[in-house]
Amino acid sequence: MHWDWRVQKELKCLGSQLRLVPPPSLCRTQVALWDPPKEPRAMEEVDKILIHSLRLLGTEVPEEVQCVGDFSTELIVEAVVCCLRVIDPMLGIGLSPSLPPGMSARFRLGTRLAQACQVLGAPGDVGYQTFLYSTEPEIRRLLLFLVEKLPRDEAEDPGHPHGKSAVLLRALATCIQEQLETPWVPPACRSPWLQRLQGSNLQTPFQAQPLVLPQDKGSKERREYFQVLLPPVPQQLPPCPGPAPSLMEAHTAQLTAKLPSQDQTWGLGGNRLRQPVPAGGGMPPLRCRLLEQLRQACTPLGGRLPPAPGAPDLTRLLGSFGAGGGLGGPTLTKGSRFTRAQRLAHQQGPETLSEQMQVAAESLASSKTSEQEVQARQEEELGALWAELGQLEAEIAGLGGEVKTLELGLVQMETDASQRRQALGSREWSLRLKRRTVELLPDADSNLAKLQLVVESSAQRILALAGQWELHRRPLLDECRRLKGLRDTRQLESSRRLQDIKALHEWHRSAATEAQHKEELYQQLVLELEGLPRAVSRAAYTHRILEIVSNIRKQKEEIKRVLSDTRGLQKEINGLTGKLERTFAVTDELIFKDAKRDESVRKAYKYLAALHENCSQLIQTIEDAGSIHREIRDLEEQIESESGAKMPASLERILGDLRALRQENAGLAARTHEA
Amino acid sequence: MAEPETQLLLGVGLIEKDTNGDALWVWCFPSTTTELRDLLLRKCCLTNENKLLHTFLFGQYKRTWFYITTMEVQDSPVLKKVTHFSIVLTAKDFNPEKYAAFTRILCRIYLKYGSPVKMMESYIAVLTKGICQSEENGSFLSKDFDARKAYLAGSIKDIVSQFGMEMVILYTALMLKKRIVVYHPRIEAIQEFTRTLPALVWHRQDWSILHSYVHLDDDELEALKTCPGYIAGFTDPEVSNRPDLYDVYVNLADSEITVSPLVKEPMTMGKLHKEIGQLIVQSAEDPDKSDSQVIKDISLKTKEILSTLASFTEASDDAAAEQMLKI
Repeated sequence: MHWDWRVQKELKCLGSQLRLVPPPSLCRTQVALWDPPKEPRAMEEVDKILIHSLRLLGTEVPEEVQCVGDFSTELIVEAVVCCLRVIDPMLGIGLSPSLPPGMSARFRLGTRLAQACQVLGAPGDVGYQTFLYSTEPEIRRLLLFLVEKLPRDEAEDPGHPHGKSAVLLRALATCIQEQLETPWVPPACRSPWLQRLQGSNLQTPFQAQPLVLPQDKGSKERREYFQVLLPPVPQQLPPCPGPAPSLMEAHTAQLTAKLPSQDQTWGLGGNRLRQPVPAGGGMPPLRCRLLEQLRQACTPLGGRLPPAPGAPDLTRLLGSFGAGGGLGGPTLTKGSRFTRAQRLAHQQGPETLSEQMQVAAESLASSKTSEQEVQARQEEELGALWAELGQLEAEIAGLGGEVKTLELGLVQMETDASQRRQALGSREWSLRLKRRTVELLPDADSNLAKLQLVVESSAQRILALAGQWELHRRPLLDECRRLKGLRDTRQLESSRRLQDIKALHEWHRSAATEAQHKEELYQQLVLELEGLPRAVSRAAYTHRILEIVSNIRKQKEEIKRVLSDTRGLQKEINGLTGKLERTFAVTDELIFKDAKRDESVRKAYKYLAALHENCSQLIQTIEDAGSIHREIRDLEEQIESESGAKMPASLERILGDLRALRQENAGLAARTHEA
Repeated sequence: MAEPETQLLLGVGLIEKDTNGDALWVWCFPSTTTELRDLLLRKCCLTNENKLLHTFLFGQYKRTWFYITTMEVQDSPVLKKVTHFSIVLTAKDFNPEKYAAFTRILCRIYLKYGSPVKMMESYIAVLTKGICQSEENGSFLSKDFDARKAYLAGSIKDIVSQFGMEMVILYTALMLKKRIVVYHPRIEAIQEFTRTLPALVWHRQDWSILHSYVHLDDDELEALKTCPGYIAGFTDPEVSNRPDLYDVYVNLADSEITVSPLVKEPMTMGKLHKEIGQLIVQSAEDPDKSDSQVIKDISLKTKEILSTLASFTEASDDAAAEQMLKI
């Protein structure tokens, strides 16, 4: 499957060049303008590329075969079957690449190949004869078609992919390759990189859980507990880390507990910390000493005073202080982990709890009587307080009710007051009015007139002022409206611009993505280029392609020139014909007029008519001759192509095959007879 | 009630909606506060988003009555940039008919001259003389509009026919000075309905409890809450979710009356209520009786109850009524 699509491209290019046969309507001289020596060379090119691609497909084309014309029937069949298998494996099923010896089998194979080709849409008439009695152009066309049909995805070199996903796949492949090449290393010896590569699950952290181990000493209940209720060690642990670390730790703890120096260090004081604490691991000596001093300071205090509920709290505080050191940071030392485990055991284990209770009970026992007294006193006090509370609550409730009623009264008073205030205001006003009225009353008539005058004049003044104000107001209002209108239009414009900008942004973005795509494509192509086999000389190909392109350009120019020539000629012919007809019409009319009067002119008219007729016949004949020439040329071309098909030779071969077939048939018939 | 106009009229204002779509408070006389201006801008239908035009609106805010008449301007040579305008009149008294007529005259003047000065002439004339000439024939005489007429303008028979025996709930609520909220999407319907309700307690002659056009706006609700009992009209259906605002909720669109659970106990109906309800319905169904006669009947009945109560106690009439109605 080492087929390269570049080859396909070139094939297409060459094929299109080959199809540029000059149109038959052009005359011979124009055909001569084509570059005849280039054509075989182009054919050679095509054949070379074809053979190269067929070899890539796995067809064994012998070295001496240089062009399609040299292909034997076997080779053709093999090449076609190879191509078919690559294009569509379903079509290729049951087609043997080697030619069978039997004649009928050969025909069958030929027919099936032809059918497969037709299914793929092969151009022209494809039949068994195409393969068995091949002609060079037909085979070339067929092979070209098949090679173009080769699937591109399949044809791509897996080592040098072109798609994004393909690049990813390649990266994956290289990665896997690399990983496969690295040797396996035992977990302990792995560097971080190797851990990532080969896993680090074996290096789980050392996680130990506190274990409760049965002991022979202790109280009866404890022993009973150990015998009956204590689950076996594996069941005490969560399944995840496994029992080994916990067991190891428990063992270490037991060992360290037996050391006498530790006993001396931790044997002080009768509290719960007397149990084996593995301090050897990591409790810093400073903190140990600190703890010790605190404990010493605490113990005598507990002895002298009646045991307040704060005392056990203090010991707990000490315990938590010891444990808190272990929670200090991520770098957990072994000892601190032990301490934490112990704290957990204190909080959770029922057995340790009971132990703690015992310790507390021991320390409390000495002052039991005083406690009872205190309790009685407390109860008394509590009762008194309860009674007081009840009394206060009742008082509060009573006061609340009072407050409520007072509030209601206040609201009522307030509304009343406000109403009265309003009434007062209006009354004061009316009083003032009435006072003024009373003042004015003595001279009622004149005063009334005066007042009316005053009202009148003030109304006039107000109106005048309003008029003046209007003079200011109107322009300001108009200005305001104008500015608002302006603002609206500006807003409209700005929104339009905003839209424009958005569109531009959009375009910009799309352009950027396009550029990115192009960049990617470029990268791909670069990759591809790097991956291309250097065997095919690229420069030669380019050179040839350029040559071909220039040829095509030249030919195009020629065709254009010829076409314009033809058009010119056609124009001239048309002009001449028109002129002739007009001239004839005028002459005809002139002479016809005179022909009625003059006998000689009549004769002349007859001659003229004859002349015209003969001339048109002549033209017709020339045109006919031209078309016949064309036909002849077509026929010659056909003959040429037919003679290229090696008709007599293939006829002989066909006859031979026919004979062989008949013999086979006869043999078969005889066999049936015998049977 | 025959107070001079000077004591009743508070001011006049002008709101214009221009071609830019802005509603502007463009002119007023003599003055106004920012609070009132914002309120009136909100009330006037020009700032509405739905662009529904109401030719005449009225309402009350802190004992100031406002009357708004709105007109559309079409091809006026003097008001080129204006599409609509509203004349806002503020006054101390409740008299929609009077002020509707007056504002209409003012609107015509403004539409004709395009200048507030002309409008102001008429306003001053009414203020000082109680009379002004209309642009068309006839003149506006403020004496023609009696306050009693305004009180009787609503049709009590219509609302009785709509609510039937449930009228007694409204009657009781009004007697006990409860808070009534009326909802209808159309403001005209609310105004027509609410202005009729105070007639049920005719003996008080108190229309100041009427707030026929209220928005769910903080200032307005605050002002409303200072009143002990009121009739408030809302066009916003959201009001049904504000039980703090009402004791009785009237959904006028669906003819439903809801009594808030908080006042269920004082609003418990008894034999007396049934009696009153029957009286109201009977009186309203009588085709021979006019609206004013129906109101008279109800008023007589109320007075009868009150006099009965007065013989029991010397307390204020409302408290007594409350006691009586609880029986």
